[in-house]
Amino acid sequence: MVVNAENVSRRYGETVALSDVSFSVPEGEIFAIIGPNGAGKTTLIRALTGTTDAEGDVSVFGRPPRAVARRRLGLLPQEFTPADRLTARELVTYYAGLYDETRDPDAVIEDVGLTDSAGTFYEDLSGGQKRRACVGTALVNEPDLLILDEPTTGIDPTGRRELWRLIEGLSDDGTTVLLTTHYMDEAETLADRVGLLADGKLVALGSPEELIARHGGESRLVIEVDDEGRAETAIAAAGYERLPGERGVAVPAGPKEIPPIVEALEADGVDYEGLVWRQPSLEDVYVTLTGSDVPTAEGAT
Amino acid sequence: MSRVGRISAEARAAWYAFVRRRTAVFFTFFFPVIIVSIFGVLVQTDPAGGGLFAEPPGYYIAGYIAVVVLFTPLSRVGSEVARHREGNRFEKLATTPLSRAEWLFAQTLVNVAVIGLASLLILALVVVATDAAFVASPLIVPYVAFGVALFCGFGALLGRLADSQDGVIAASNGVAIPLLFLSETFVTPDLLPAWFLPLVNVSPLTYFARGLRAATYGPTNAASAGRVGLVGTDPYLNLALLVALATVFFVAGAYALPRTD
Repeated sequence: MVVNAENVSRRYGETVALSDVSFSVPEGEIFAIIGPNGAGKTTLIRALTGTTDAEGDVSVFGRPPRAVARRRLGLLPQEFTPADRLTARELVTYYAGLYDETRDPDAVIEDVGLTDSAGTFYEDLSGGQKRRACVGTALVNEPDLLILDEPTTGIDPTGRRELWRLIEGLSDDGTTVLLTTHYMDEAETLADRVGLLADGKLVALGSPEELIARHGGESRLVIEVDDEGRAETAIAAAGYERLPGERGVAVPAGPKEIPPIVEALEADGVDYEGLVWRQPSLEDVYVTLTGSDVPTAEGAT
Repeated sequence: MSRVGRISAEARAAWYAFVRRRTAVFFTFFFPVIIVSIFGVLVQTDPAGGGLFAEPPGYYIAGYIAVVVLFTPLSRVGSEVARHREGNRFEKLATTPLSRAEWLFAQTLVNVAVIGLASLLILALVVVATDAAFVASPLIVPYVAFGVALFCGFGALLGRLADSQDGVIAASNGVAIPLLFLSETFVTPDLLPAWFLPLVNVSPLTYFARGLRAATYGPTNAASAGRVGLVGTDPYLNLALLVALATVFFVAGAYALPRTD
């Protein structure tokens, strides 16, 4: 195992940040940690890198975190703000200079899609470009274990997908990747396995498919409508029960149940704006197990 | 070799980060200009024939250099520690091969270069603006280097203790201003009450000012103007004590750098 955590706990005064968290990550896996703000994701990352003093047993490459050869680790901390008057290239070159053997900084800059902005000061980059430059600093030493704390926060959808491809490529080449994210689609697309943290506890662990099958519930039809009460009455008359915790009026339904639901709405004169049928996703797992909405990019920490 | 490479990379980044801040560069070098201009003029006028600024101009050269050796590293390193902490940079550096001592050493090198240039500016201004008797002693170099190292270590301690950049600036001013005026820089010991004089010997800046004054102004004059203290006015003994103090502060400062949350 590249990472092994057993009963990891961390308290800050009366606040329990982590409580008996146990999991392991084998070589080459992409492991995603998801959870609400304040769930303990960043504290867990810090416990794994030895930058917080946690109880329990943590080993990385079979050794305590602080005893691991530094060249084997690449870290992107959350809310990382490097020197703002270095260019993107200088920033990556600076971190390259801290290791004996590294990749060509220009190749890393190209990998994170910043070739055209390589000579721009960090402070003048856009939010997404800044984050990509920071990702570059974690890649430059060709780490065996790449730890990314919310790597795509602030990056536009195209940039996110480019980074996903980059991370998948690194994983294909044998790099173990451990990341936190508040984008459920990111975890679902990228991760081989997902750990869901809530209130410092690991409440679910498994592949996205396993978690969805176990906790995601049924496929559903979501009715986008202004008068939700009237729509709820109409579907109740047709024998359907509204699912809680959804935006719009959601009804458990397979594809064949869409026509009778539509008929019930129209028979009752419900003026709906849209119908969306979807299968359960990791977002449903998240909502079911944490009891909270998935955080937005703006609201995430 | 790899240690040299790491320190070089850190020092290069720190140097760029400094020289690209025009305001910081301007005021770093404007500060000694102001100090020499004000105190140089006051010294030359010798207003009351005694009291403050009544010594010959050469007496104050050590004080001028002490100003930049004290203030700039204290606030720069303290602020840099606060910036690193606020930007989670130490969290990242903890997973790289760069040690805390190497980081502080790189910052010290940059500060030595900056303060070295500022000291040259001061000496040039003193020559131009005053009639100071001045000995161009090679001891100026180690005095500046180890004085800067001492206050870089002190700055790292302040950066650890203060919880923000504002806090660091306030703390460094709170420390530096009393130290500056109570360490045989501009205020001669005979102007201080007798009970206070032992405290002068507690200040590390005293050994900087006393020793550098002995080297640049002459031991005889320095001895007559200042107190003998722990190691007298011998420039080498004062330098040795400064080196010891710099080592202590550097080690303490490096140890104090945050590694964990």
